[in-house]
Amino acid sequence: MCCRGCQAVAQVIAGASLGSYYRSRTSLPESPREAQRTLVKKLRLYDDPRVQQSFVRKGAEHVKEASLILEGITCAACIWLNEQHLASLSGVLGAEINYATRRARVCWDEGRIRLSEILQAVADIGYHAYPYDSTRYDEMQRKERKTALWRLFVAGLGMMQVMMYAVPTYFAKGDMSPDIREFMRIASMVLALPVVFYSAGPFFAGALRDLKLRRVGMDVPVALGIGVAFAASIWATLDGRGEVYFDSITMFVFFLLCGRFLEMNARGKAVQEVDRLVKLIPAMAERVPEFPASREVEPVPVSSLKAGDWVLVRAGDTIPADGRVEEGASEVDEALLTGESRPVVKRRGDAIAGGAINVASPLFMRVERVGQETMLAGIVRLLDRASSEKPIVAVTADRAARWFVFAVLVIAAAAALGWYLVDPSRALWVTVSVLVVTCPCALSLATPAALTAATGTLTRLGVLVTRGHALETLAKASHFVFDKTGTLTQGRMSVLKITALAGLPEAECLALASALEQSSEHPVARALKEEARRIKAPARLPAEHVHNVPGSGIEGVMGGRRLRLGTPRFVQALHGKPFPIKPDESGVTLVALGDDCGWLGWFAISDRVRPEARELVAALARMGKQVTLLSGDRIEAAQAVATALGIETVVAGVSPAEKLDYVRRLERGGAVVAMVGDGANDAPVLGGSAVSIAMGGGTQLAQASADMILLSEHLVNLLDAVVMARRTMELIRQNLVWAAVYNLVALPLALAGQVTPWMAGIGMSASSLLVVGNALRLTRFKVSRAKGETEPQRAVAPA
Amino acid sequence: MDVLYLLIPLSLVLVFLFGTLFWWTLHSGQFDDLVGPAYRILLDDDSPATEEADIAFDLKSKVNRDEI
Amino acid sequence: MEAQTTYNYKVVRQFAIMTVVWGIVGMLVGVYIASLLVWPDMTHIPYLSFGRLRPLHTNAVIFAFGGSGLFATSYYVVQRTCQVRLFSDKLAAFTFWGWQLAIVLDAIALPMGYTASHEYAEMVWPIALVILVVWVAYAIVFFGTIVKRKTPHIYVANWFFAAYILTVAVLHIVNHLSVPVSLFSLKAYPIFGGAQDAMVQWWYGHNAVGFFLTAGFLGMMYYFIPKQAGRPIYSYRLSVVHFWALIFVYMWAGPHHLEYTALPDWAQSLGMVFSLILLAPSWGGMINGIMTLSGAWHKLRTDPILKFMVTALSFYGMSTFEGPMMAIKTVNALSHYTYWVIGHVHSGALGWVAFITIGSLYYLIPRLYGKTEMYSQRLITVHFWVSTIGVVLYISSMWIAGVMQGIMWRATNPDGTLTYSFAEAVKALHPFNVIRLAGGLLFFLGMLIMAYNVWKTIAGQKAAIAPIPAVAPAHA
Repeated sequence: MCCRGCQAVAQVIAGASLGSYYRSRTSLPESPREAQRTLVKKLRLYDDPRVQQSFVRKGAEHVKEASLILEGITCAACIWLNEQHLASLSGVLGAEINYATRRARVCWDEGRIRLSEILQAVADIGYHAYPYDSTRYDEMQRKERKTALWRLFVAGLGMMQVMMYAVPTYFAKGDMSPDIREFMRIASMVLALPVVFYSAGPFFAGALRDLKLRRVGMDVPVALGIGVAFAASIWATLDGRGEVYFDSITMFVFFLLCGRFLEMNARGKAVQEVDRLVKLIPAMAERVPEFPASREVEPVPVSSLKAGDWVLVRAGDTIPADGRVEEGASEVDEALLTGESRPVVKRRGDAIAGGAINVASPLFMRVERVGQETMLAGIVRLLDRASSEKPIVAVTADRAARWFVFAVLVIAAAAALGWYLVDPSRALWVTVSVLVVTCPCALSLATPAALTAATGTLTRLGVLVTRGHALETLAKASHFVFDKTGTLTQGRMSVLKITALAGLPEAECLALASALEQSSEHPVARALKEEARRIKAPARLPAEHVHNVPGSGIEGVMGGRRLRLGTPRFVQALHGKPFPIKPDESGVTLVALGDDCGWLGWFAISDRVRPEARELVAALARMGKQVTLLSGDRIEAAQAVATALGIETVVAGVSPAEKLDYVRRLERGGAVVAMVGDGANDAPVLGGSAVSIAMGGGTQLAQASADMILLSEHLVNLLDAVVMARRTMELIRQNLVWAAVYNLVALPLALAGQVTPWMAGIGMSASSLLVVGNALRLTRFKVSRAKGETEPQRAVAPA
Repeated sequence: MDVLYLLIPLSLVLVFLFGTLFWWTLHSGQFDDLVGPAYRILLDDDSPATEEADIAFDLKSKVNRDEI
Repeated sequence: MEAQTTYNYKVVRQFAIMTVVWGIVGMLVGVYIASLLVWPDMTHIPYLSFGRLRPLHTNAVIFAFGGSGLFATSYYVVQRTCQVRLFSDKLAAFTFWGWQLAIVLDAIALPMGYTASHEYAEMVWPIALVILVVWVAYAIVFFGTIVKRKTPHIYVANWFFAAYILTVAVLHIVNHLSVPVSLFSLKAYPIFGGAQDAMVQWWYGHNAVGFFLTAGFLGMMYYFIPKQAGRPIYSYRLSVVHFWALIFVYMWAGPHHLEYTALPDWAQSLGMVFSLILLAPSWGGMINGIMTLSGAWHKLRTDPILKFMVTALSFYGMSTFEGPMMAIKTVNALSHYTYWVIGHVHSGALGWVAFITIGSLYYLIPRLYGKTEMYSQRLITVHFWVSTIGVVLYISSMWIAGVMQGIMWRATNPDGTLTYSFAEAVKALHPFNVIRLAGGLLFFLGMLIMAYNVWKTIAGQKAAIAPIPAVAPAHA
């Protein structure tokens, strides 16, 4: 057995003879925590009626129902196991887990079992369940989907059956007696009633709303078309003369609803991405009030946590708020926050974000930000902002559609009048055809459908679109301006090269250096310590009599000998021998180590270039974009990075104001500038460029002014975003062109009386389905991140 | 073709029944999870009981061994 | 209560075994009447004449073999997927004995010449009544089990079974609406007459194919293919759409059986249109079934049971393509009344219905008797190849014969007279009748192999007892 959790699972499985778990299981559940006293205590809180208020529904007497989020589920077998396990508890009346959303609904008898015992039972088999408030958003979306499906079904059923009655009359051509024809018409009418009044309800409601606001939207001609055709058909049925259009009406409604249903599903998917984020924060946390004096924990609701509190996050638990690791080292899964699929290592002093899952071992953390100030809340706010803003292209399309609708209404009225004068018997259906065939649904659906699909896909990749116009501008960008530190580079020092002298092994050299720097938090010190940990250099006792000489280095005594670590000149002062090489100025910091007798070694330390940056720059160049490096750093350092990446234009040593100036100058020259920077210190220039992309390191996120944020910090995903943006705009353009061409062809034909209403219905529906279908292709975007992942990405401490 | 006077109302009734049935399935949550049921039947173990006892035994012995 | 903690496998076992038995009987009769076509003078005993035994063959394979298979699998699937024991053991036992009684009575009445003369509904009114009572009991057991289910969701296979049970009940009642001459006479007159009777009969005949031979067996397919393959159905969503589309469209395609008859032209055309629309859901279902194996195609090489199931789906796809094509009026003008129709029916009945049933039984029988697999996997493979060759021989000979027949019938001389007399066309069929007999014999041989395999599997085995998992005592 890999752990005690699996053992517990095995016992349950064996005991309850749930043998098929082992046959269907495709991956292992995450390692569960030990069953602990504290856990029980924590879960007890959920029994409190006040706590339960927000998420428990009461059924019959003693019967309660709650929705649970399940964590640790990796495959279908896990779900089944949980379900079986819950169902076998005495007092649990029902348990069902949704495979798609991984949420459970549990119904239990309050007299026989308590909620905490149910949660405990889930914990016993190594998973983690906690209640959530499902009444808000979920429920609403489910209801909306159900209603839409029902409308669609009614329309579909009505359509099929009306066809049943209508098709014979087309075939019959005279060998059907008039009374049977009349009878069939009445039957069609009966069937069309629910289709028009229920299924098409939203169109009428929309049209009414438009009229009240004294404007014309796309619902107006639709409603008018359906209404006129239906009224005329009823008249014809009752009068016994003239044509009926029940088949065209039902078909038209059905196809329109199909388009809307597809669009709704796409939107639902995009919203789900955000929704997943919102649900991340758990309800309970374990506070350690007397840390570090005592490790005694007390379970408290997350809402009562304050900055400065110490919290224990056990392995498998979700981190309740933003903060820093105070003790312990672990791996944290930030997949839902950043799109980074592998767990990230977190050690003492590292920042951790609420909503991430601690996967390896317990951590003590100090809370820094709670509630609305957390990174998670920031992300959600930004996403909300993006979805509430309409991009220019959508605004334009909307405005065009409005004019278009207006024109259609005028043309339809003219057609009605014209045909009335020429041939009154055709006036009605020609008008209906005109109204139906020109329905600008395609025009109105095309843009939002494509944008939602694109945004949803990008969120999944860890690219947050926070402004409505971002994709559009990104697609048009001609210049990509990059900040250096933290953008093209990792934004922190790391050891590039170790040169050991005096016959010392490299590891030994590093061990000495890191022992000297033990208590220092200088970036260089961090780099040395990090490297020592990485290559597992032998541990040393911390040096004694350490004293720091700012700007020069550090001095201390180890094993009786005096050591110095710092600039070559500082170390040379100790023994007087010349430094063996000539330091060059290419942006690499040289840190030397020496004792009384001479040089022991030196380290080349630098801010490492992100491994995927080269690929990005090359790809942008291939697309014909101008790439510029704009840095506040020294020209040598900037030039070194630029050379390494193949960037030709370098502007270095500029202040934030000068950066903004530079970008403004470019834009005055007609360029569309995409500025890529790190959120915090590039704020002005990010705000001033046409479109800005920020690297998504934790803290700055909440106040980020960027239009897009690379949560994953994978530059390759920026490339995805560019490709996606271009593809989206291309699709929107295709859709608009299609809509225009279609109308140019269809409208004259309809005016000429060559299009019957059912043909109009099919034509228009096919056109909008085509448009929506085209937009939905964006959800199947292939990710190009594979290359970027070859270099393992380590945790990036926010600056 | 008098039978049509029977068949057409009959079809209307049928359509109505059909609609009712769908309404019930929709609102009783039959379409809430359209992924799980496919897995659920696979996880229902219908291999004979004798074999299952063996599996159970096997697992227990393994557990004991690992506890030592 | 011990009875409530286990599944009722007894009735499943009974039906499963009788499926094999009736399969052999029904196909034996089929082989016999096929040989009558080859050697028409073989016998002149009235009880063994073609006219009396042809309905016996169809009734035996459809209702005895197919029906028992559906009873067995639906009882099994509804219990396992709802995780409860059957609604009533007694009623279930009643359905078994009642169904067997009806089959035996029918098998006696038909050779004696007692028939209601409606195709696929030849049983005389007392037998039809027995069937009705059994069917009502079946519906009570099945829906009762669904109602007391422990899982909130009703698995899609059960939807297909439910549609088949309900629709067959309605079909059976409507098509058997008749007035007996007297209480002691087996003769009854249907209440519809003329074209109306024809329309009702083919509404029945078509939907018997649609709901008995398609929906029911699709239920089987949706459970046993995923189980045997060990993979979830390719798209559960699609299977739900498949269900609703199929049952809605199927209902109205009936009139295509009456193309070029006294039925009004528009009704015929309507039947044609709906038959063509029917292609979409049918193929959706087939693709869904076959794609279940995507990523596990290798299993097909080694697992003969899966071979049966996937071949069944291929034949389903083929005949649901062929059917709508034959409903197109111009094609129908050639194919109607020819051997082509018989070829079409058998590609559905042998290729789809029998294959999926055989596959499901091979899955089911060992589990019902506490074994992990059949006595011999090799024999299953042999069975598969023997029957496949049989089916191919059968349907290809019928296709060629049918097209030839149609062409001969319509061939005219320049002066407008027929080129061939009817007898000439009959004579030309002879070699194809021989091939058909050979194909039928091979399929029959396959069933005998299966019977032997089943016998060796269950002989001396104790009936398996299957506990219901959710009721197992909790260990937490």
